[in-house]
Amino acid sequence: MSRRVAITGCGVVSAAGNDLERFWSGLMAGTCRIGPLRGFSCTGMEGLLGSEVELLPEDALPPEIDSDPYRSRCLHLALAATRRAVAAAGLPADAAARERTGVSLGSTMAEERQVSDLDDRLAATGPDAIDAGFLARADNHRLAATLARIHGLGGPVLLSSTACSSGNAALATAYDLVASGAAEAMVAGGADTFTRAVFTGFLRLGALSKGICRPFDKRRDGVTFGEAAGMLVLEDLERARRRGAPILAEVAGYGVSNDAYHITAPEPNGDGFARAMRQALATTGIPQDEVDYVSAHGTGTPYNDLGETRAVKAVFGEGARALAMSSIKSMLGHTNGAASAVEAIACALALVHQAVPPTANLEEPDPECDLDYVPGVGRSARVRTCLNLSAGFGGFNVCLVLRRAP
Amino acid sequence: MTPAPSPAVAITGLGVLTPLADRPEALAAALLEGRSAIAPAAELGGAGLSRMADDFDPARYANIRGLRLYSRATKLGICAVRLALDDAKLDAAACPSEQLGTVTASTLGHVETLFEYDRSVVAAGPLRGNPALMPLALPSSPGAAVALSFVAKAFSMSLSDAGTSSLDALGLGARLVAAGRARACVVVGTAALCADLSAAASKAGLLAPAEAFRVLDRRRRGTALGEGAAAVVLERAEEALARGARLRAIVAGQATAFAPGPADRAGALRRACGQALADAGLTPGEVALVSAGLSGGEGDRAEAVALLGLLGESAGRTPLLAPKASLGETLDAAGLLQALAALAALSSGKAPPIPRLEDPDPPGLCTPRTAAPVAGAHALVTATAHTGGCAALVLTVPHG
Repeated sequence: MSRRVAITGCGVVSAAGNDLERFWSGLMAGTCRIGPLRGFSCTGMEGLLGSEVELLPEDALPPEIDSDPYRSRCLHLALAATRRAVAAAGLPADAAARERTGVSLGSTMAEERQVSDLDDRLAATGPDAIDAGFLARADNHRLAATLARIHGLGGPVLLSSTACSSGNAALATAYDLVASGAAEAMVAGGADTFTRAVFTGFLRLGALSKGICRPFDKRRDGVTFGEAAGMLVLEDLERARRRGAPILAEVAGYGVSNDAYHITAPEPNGDGFARAMRQALATTGIPQDEVDYVSAHGTGTPYNDLGETRAVKAVFGEGARALAMSSIKSMLGHTNGAASAVEAIACALALVHQAVPPTANLEEPDPECDLDYVPGVGRSARVRTCLNLSAGFGGFNVCLVLRRAP
Repeated sequence: MTPAPSPAVAITGLGVLTPLADRPEALAAALLEGRSAIAPAAELGGAGLSRMADDFDPARYANIRGLRLYSRATKLGICAVRLALDDAKLDAAACPSEQLGTVTASTLGHVETLFEYDRSVVAAGPLRGNPALMPLALPSSPGAAVALSFVAKAFSMSLSDAGTSSLDALGLGARLVAAGRARACVVVGTAALCADLSAAASKAGLLAPAEAFRVLDRRRRGTALGEGAAAVVLERAEEALARGARLRAIVAGQATAFAPGPADRAGALRRACGQALADAGLTPGEVALVSAGLSGGEGDRAEAVALLGLLGESAGRTPLLAPKASLGETLDAAGLLQALAALAALSSGKAPPIPRLEDPDPPGLCTPRTAAPVAGAHALVTATAHTGGCAALVLTVPHG
């Protein structure tokens, strides 16, 4: 693990915009993008709220994919973000370099809609609705593979699925591959769209907000969903320098842990979060007092936000109060496997712009959540190192460490 | 995928659950006898399937709370992990919860539960879906269940890489253990038959009639789906030796490459093999055997072409194993099952025959018709995925 890893390009498609400038200015303004859903419905559930991506003409699918009647929204989002990231990084087009570049994609639900769409057809037309292509479409690896195929990449192509920390897990895996020299660059991140399983499941589990997502607010009552994709180009820092690539930030490393506590509920004291953060700091050798910003998982559920707050206090002690910690899910909703990848992009931009994005909708502080969550709008700040926290059903915790470009 | 992990990472425990056997030694014996679990499935017009016995009872292997709710693939995976941990004699004293990690390879292991959950919503309405099933309907659910079942708190990663899943997972696990992120890590690959997926495979023309199922043979007509699970325990070799563990093998190299198009597949697999061997500091001539992913499907030719090119003049004398000829295509479990078959052959010095392979196409590889001698310490394991992934693993059996 000797090579340093640079972020040389980011691509995002989100309700806050599909280019980095609009995305960042929207976040800093604290604009909440959650509203009534237009592009997704779920029979029997009225008034669904969420944050939706508006794909632009330049995000159009390649014709051979666009003509597929079963084309996947999740894939479309991932492709659009990947194209933007690859272009921003100016990824070398020569075959030899592409052969040493791979893809690491994270997704929580991935191709769930292929299954629920098939179920609808089965209910409508009977067993003959199972078609010859279904097996290939249900295979989530196809998402990552299609990104690699479209961009002619020949390195490792991996699909990580660790529930809602999938984006961070994919980034951590990509970091190791570049740091170890197994790949020169990895296009890594996450993508997810709306699914019937997530809406109905969270509703039944009592974890779906009746209104909008309010992380760390006393009135918070659950998750509001969004769709998005965020992709980053992670590249050997020395190679990036040699080719004069833009270097937005450095990925310094990561920490991982599992709660092993419950299939859905997080460990109430945030022990898993704390262990992931401690490992992240220990393995990167970054002193605690150099961490200026924590991008919270901040889902807006009562348990998560409290556990996360406790974990940050446990790790940083008195230093916790000097940190800025915010949840951009307050504006974009919870975009599942995309969330931590989109949040990693927000961290990279925080390092570039020396500013921290806010937690929107935080109006009535919870006495037990008493850190600086940057309520309302973003602000300028010294940002040397960011921790990007994420967790998922099943206790999957990943903490990515980003620091200023060297 | 990774340079030779430094410090060296060893396999110290093996767990396996297949229709042929539930112990590595028994599986090795069944393969040496040339046995096959492939049988015709009436519901698929006689296509070959390799399925667990009707009386398969996961509770016999693992006494785990909530096991009943888990998908069949998850149950198989949990059982294989239990067997591997027992085989490694890795208890809480040797490895506390905070030091045990898991990496799970599962691409389709959740689909059965996703169908069940989604159909409960379609039938009863969104307010009446079974909430207990929803978290188990996620692609991450087999990995979540494994971590929860064995209170593995160091980390749990989960890969869905289709046919290369378990080799990729083994590489990832070895890297995480080498980096000191856990004292030990269980890597598990698991797959179960699912009626809807099998029906789709049949409609796609991917399945051979049971009596015609052959891998690499000129008369091959498709694949046979199978189910099963395999797990290995990884530890840093030095620490494993210090606690008196038996080192089954060293993970000497692992690499994954991607073929953007079908025509690129042989080249991509050869690159992955070359990188894994380079990581291990070996030349192709030092490989004692190859445990290949040959499945009777579209990938057989590319895999054979890659191996012919890689092995060169030693191709005709390096025994080839093809466990899928006996166990069918088990997707996420396949790479680890091949690894277990390779270890058994290295340890016993005997390579099993490839059932029903009479006329290799292309020819030139060493495809034993009866058990063949194996000399050497290094095995190459290869896998390809229909999505384009190509993976290679090099295992070395320690002397003595």
